[in-house]
Amino acid sequence: MLHIKCPYCGLRAQKEFAYGGDATVKRPELNKEVSSEEWNNFVYMRKSPRGKHIELWHHISGCRQWFKAQRDTATHEIFQTAKMSEEIK
Amino acid sequence: MTYTSSLNTVHKQGLFGDHENKKENELIKLREIKDLTIYQLVKYKKSTADISKMNLDGLRLPEPLNVKSNSSTRILWMGPDNWLVISDKKNIYDTFKNDFLDTDFAITDLSHSRTIIEIEGELAREVIKKGCPLNINDLKEGNCSNSIFHAITITLDFISDNPQVIRILALRSFGDSLHHSITDACLEFGYKAV
Repeated sequence: MLHIKCPYCGLRAQKEFAYGGDATVKRPELNKEVSSEEWNNFVYMRKSPRGKHIELWHHISGCRQWFKAQRDTATHEIFQTAKMSEEIK
Repeated sequence: MTYTSSLNTVHKQGLFGDHENKKENELIKLREIKDLTIYQLVKYKKSTADISKMNLDGLRLPEPLNVKSNSSTRILWMGPDNWLVISDKKNIYDTFKNDFLDTDFAITDLSHSRTIIEIEGELAREVIKKGCPLNINDLKEGNCSNSIFHAITITLDFISDNPQVIRILALRSFGDSLHHSITDACLEFGYKAV
């Protein structure tokens, strides 16, 4: 089981969290004409990197906050977690 | 409104599990805590209210993973800008509604939506460890935390270290299941349901 450091509650077991996907995906700008392909890319298309990946996690059985985590998809090592308002270096 | 506990037909008083040849103070005590007034207090993101100066029933709002309490009210930290107020005062809302304005806070009455089971005894932590992945050895009297117990989302409220008293709060609809899980975990040690 992974142990993930919630930026608010500290180190917790993975069981308390829900995975929220790629944290680097940017929503198309509001009030701007969006092509079907652009929208399709935003909703469905994801990279599947081997190595460091910045992703969203939700502390669903804890403080119920979303946060970012940088994890190695091959080793599952978690290098850093950060609040949504913070940047992962 | 009449309140009927979710454990009304489930929580039976008596001695259960491996209780024979044990002194009463060696047994775990399980009780249901009910008839409390519970409010969720959430500060809006855009609110500029200074919570460090606010008080509720004479208590400041607690820091992360902490509880502020007096003889009748406990305020639990639930998350950033999110607290749970638990009180035996029926009129607790009237005492703070003028300070916690609805333009700054979302205040929700959850009194009927929680089941609370209290575990007392030296082995209370051992019972919780059976189903909860949280390292509760780090938490002491005056702490609280959300976690899970056998996949049920719970809130742990550490009432006292001596004697050890821990309250487990869960959604009312999970009360029956939580009670089953907790009593099952207690059988090995022997418990007295009071």
